Amino acid sequence: MSLSRRDFLKVSGVTGGALVAASRLLRLETLTAAGAESLQVEEKYIPTTCWIGKQDCGMLARVVNGRVVKLEGHPANPRNNGTLCPKGVGQIMSFYDPNRVKTPLIRTNAKGVPGEWRKASWDEALSLVAKKMNAAREKGGSKFVWQKGRSKAKKFYDKAFVAASGAFKLHHGAFCSDAGYRALEYTLGLHAVLHPDFKYTRYLLCWGWNVTNAGGNKFCWLTWPQKLVEAKERGMKMVAIDPRQRSAAHFADEWVPIKPGTDLALALALCNQLIANDTIDREYLTKYTNAPFLVGPDGLFLRAEPEGEEEAGAPLVWDTVSGAAVPYTAEGIQPALEGEYTVGGQRVKTAFELFKAHVAEYTPEMAAEVCGIEAAQIERMAREIGENAMIGSTITLDGHTMPYRPVGIMAYHMAQQELGFQAVRAMVMVMMLIGSIGAVGGQFSDFTWKEYKNWAKFEHLKVQDETNLYLKDSKFFPINSNNSSVVAHVINNLSEYGLDDEVVPDVVILHHVNPLGSFPDRNENFEAYKKIGFVAAIDPWISRTADYFADVILPAATIEKYEGPISASDFYTDAETLRIPPMDPLFDSKGDIDIYIDLCEAAGILYGEDGYIAQINKQLKLEGEYALPLDQKPEVRDIFDRYARSKGLEGGIEFFEKNGVNIKGPASVSKVYPYAMEEPFAGILPHRFYGESLLVAQNDMKAAGADEIYWRDYTPFPTWRELTAAQSPAEYDLNLISYHMIEFKQSRTPVPLLIEMAPKVFVEINPATARAKGIADGDEVWVESHNAITGETRKIKAVARYREGIRPDTVAMPHHYGEYVKHPWVKGQGPSPNELFFTGEGYVAQTADQTYLVRVKVTKA
Amino acid sequence: MARYGMVIDLDKCTGCRACMVACKVENNTPQGHFWMYVFRFEEGEYPNTRTWFMPRPCMHCDNAPCVKVCPVGARYKRLDGLTATDFDRCIGCRYCEVACPYGVNYFNWKKPEGNYYLDWDDPDLAEIVGDEKVVYANPDLDKAYGPEKRRIAGGGQAKGVMEKCTFCVHRLEKGLQPACAAICPTQAIKFGDLDDPESEVSQLLREKPHFRLLEEAGTSPRVFYIGQHAPNPSVRQIEEITVKV
Repeated sequence: MSLSRRDFLKVSGVTGGALVAASRLLRLETLTAAGAESLQVEEKYIPTTCWIGKQDCGMLARVVNGRVVKLEGHPANPRNNGTLCPKGVGQIMSFYDPNRVKTPLIRTNAKGVPGEWRKASWDEALSLVAKKMNAAREKGGSKFVWQKGRSKAKKFYDKAFVAASGAFKLHHGAFCSDAGYRALEYTLGLHAVLHPDFKYTRYLLCWGWNVTNAGGNKFCWLTWPQKLVEAKERGMKMVAIDPRQRSAAHFADEWVPIKPGTDLALALALCNQLIANDTIDREYLTKYTNAPFLVGPDGLFLRAEPEGEEEAGAPLVWDTVSGAAVPYTAEGIQPALEGEYTVGGQRVKTAFELFKAHVAEYTPEMAAEVCGIEAAQIERMAREIGENAMIGSTITLDGHTMPYRPVGIMAYHMAQQELGFQAVRAMVMVMMLIGSIGAVGGQFSDFTWKEYKNWAKFEHLKVQDETNLYLKDSKFFPINSNNSSVVAHVINNLSEYGLDDEVVPDVVILHHVNPLGSFPDRNENFEAYKKIGFVAAIDPWISRTADYFADVILPAATIEKYEGPISASDFYTDAETLRIPPMDPLFDSKGDIDIYIDLCEAAGILYGEDGYIAQINKQLKLEGEYALPLDQKPEVRDIFDRYARSKGLEGGIEFFEKNGVNIKGPASVSKVYPYAMEEPFAGILPHRFYGESLLVAQNDMKAAGADEIYWRDYTPFPTWRELTAAQSPAEYDLNLISYHMIEFKQSRTPVPLLIEMAPKVFVEINPATARAKGIADGDEVWVESHNAITGETRKIKAVARYREGIRPDTVAMPHHYGEYVKHPWVKGQGPSPNELFFTGEGYVAQTADQTYLVRVKVTKA
Repeated sequence: MARYGMVIDLDKCTGCRACMVACKVENNTPQGHFWMYVFRFEEGEYPNTRTWFMPRPCMHCDNAPCVKVCPVGARYKRLDGLTATDFDRCIGCRYCEVACPYGVNYFNWKKPEGNYYLDWDDPDLAEIVGDEKVVYANPDLDKAYGPEKRRIAGGGQAKGVMEKCTFCVHRLEKGLQPACAAICPTQAIKFGDLDDPESEVSQLLREKPHFRLLEEAGTSPRVFYIGQHAPNPSVRQIEEITVKV
């Protein structure tokens, strides 16, 4: 073997970008020369990136005589190190798929049924969309809606379009992990969910994180499993907390088969035990959180007297040096973490003292009952967390001596549950108790400590009468994840939310998003789309939503376009990449950025100071000589050429066309670890251990007349309550959850190579449960769900599959079915569990985030 | 001369099946053919359950039953350890398929050109890529390989011919790893020269306990497994791939 991937990786490693690039190039050229000689063909490798998922793994497209014959992993990209997942390598088939939308299409039949189409020119299609869009833009508000699924690469061209067009924006996050994002934004000021410091961690709580199937915080799949396997080789212990064992696979040292949706109770029981075992990091809690703040009987912080100012002063702490309540910002004080004190004649406690009282009832026995697991297992986990946290220990990296707390949580999509926001907050509090937040080996979320805009916003939650289509700043969901199914629910029930027809959109542009295919609740979405006048879809496929409701479909290219910039960081190495087209856009498709440029031109919003070009300059920070001229239609390649040059890359776009990835080097200790920063935690302090503003919001919601179902979870500390689903009648005896399969997760496209491996929908059921119901492995069954609030029931048919690795009170179905796109390979694949889930009250979190849990009964069909 | 073999670390395999897809694209195998197959296994009863995964390529046995039964010498052993199939010589008798205890042989019941998942007979596509029988056709697969100069690479060669994993013989000659090993996200699949004591595969076999499938059959496979254990009757296959051929 002259060169294996491993040899190459030795060269690439995390050394300088230039060296990596040069060695890779050398290799490519050698290969190209050898290939050309022996095969009499022109062969080259064009660096590009994966178009599926969210992490845009680096790829090399093997191109022979101008035709892509294979997509392989780019060896120098830190995210995938020369490898790919099954979707990455399989997407070549969808790239060439003759079922792609080849030309712009205009609908010729009525909406609400599968579409019939005529081919149109780009000019005709774009003028039509521009005309409709401009009419809606004139009316303002939410009349013109732009919705995107997962944005690929930096969102610069999305944001530029929204800014230039004034569109009302909808997202996909409320179906993904936004409840977790909101929890972290609220508690630590970071826009991300949870991952550990794999390089140093010794004990990992793999909390609903599906190692072998799903993604994880920040990445879609491949990077974290690579790091997990390395950490396991190093001896890291891993506990999998999940109703289904598949997530644990054989990587877990212990499986905690928790009842779905009860994670909050488990986290608080762990807190209870950490306090009981006295394995808590008092220094972190005192210095960096609001746990020592004094809380009055009204649940609000005691604050310094406002001295002639309208706003309240700084919260008070009890200073053990002076024996008095002083502003927490005062110099030279030693705040008490615990205790009860008399201030201004009233007895007050520290927030931490209140927390101790709060978690006192969350004993292992109580949580064991709620979570359906053993109390001894909870006690053991708490002991192991405490022991492995090595509280008080430090480690020195690159001259920085920092706390060493090698315990962390990996959690992401599990955040989408009824108590999701508070459950993730409770999980973070477990890590706060042991001082693991940002410590080496400890709890991380974003790639660096950078304040997210919601950190300040969440200090004062708006509860106002005036609201909009997604109920922003309302008495319903003051913290709000912009859930487009809630939007559909609101459109279908306007008066219940004090809204009228004025908010119903006239025009919706759907960009790579398929609400009828991807989001529960499918029925609500279907009814809502009937009310929308004009729908245009930008997509390489006829999605289910487009098939039933689009008036125009604009064919987008897949990997064959320029797109970016894309972070190629794996948390430990900083790198950047671009998507480079290995071929021209197939058929009559266009790259997404080209489509927006053309659409903005047709709509008259391309040029000038407020136009799309100006917004691109702003978003990409193209200034001075790098700025695009505002009166000249740009070429997309030129946009990225200017971007690359503005970043100091010699050769501009050619650097990426040759090398694919720009390795900037190892992420510095002071970027990764908040204790090594000039100002610890980048000054985003104190961490919100106590959620005072949640209580204020609750009070405001009550005052505004909101029902209890909206305000009940706005509590300063996470608080367990029975889930809505549990109130369904006893005959609905099973919990239904849904999950991702690695073959399809975020695939966006029907790839026959992958569908062949799992062609039909199924429902996993524990054999003991199934036998008691007379259901054999492979039987067709009815799965019927029940809405505990409205009493509505829905049912679908699927094939039962026996699995020992699932709780007997739970059944599970993969998401990826339900004929989500018009394609021969998805015909007859059976329904999606999204048809069984509900949206709206009781089935969304306090942040309007979608849940994926409902009670069902399963009967033999 | 190198004598190749494979070492698969079951403690690292996530069961993602990327190797299966990489194999299919690299070797242009038709629908329903899985020269590499990844088993997903479950054993034990709730809650004492274990899930694990096992990739299964051709074992390239040193004492290969398929070679012995081939009446025309189409299936043969190469000096570098590969068990190869000469598509031009194969008469489609399927004796090899019957003799193999591992089920790694895939027979072209259909004309391969009509068995590639989608109807590729599309004039718009033809304008772009020409008239390839499979749109992502790998140009390396039609060549003759080895000192024997026989056509032994790639799949979908002809109706009535038996095909199986070749250890990506066409890649080996370029100094590349087999497609499955190259793509494996967690590097669970290792490939190299078992005769070289310094090779990674040799070192792994020295350092870690290992097993081969159906050792008792006396086939002397060149594929070794480390981690986990050999499947036994108490292991159940989950998420089995069933296809019509």
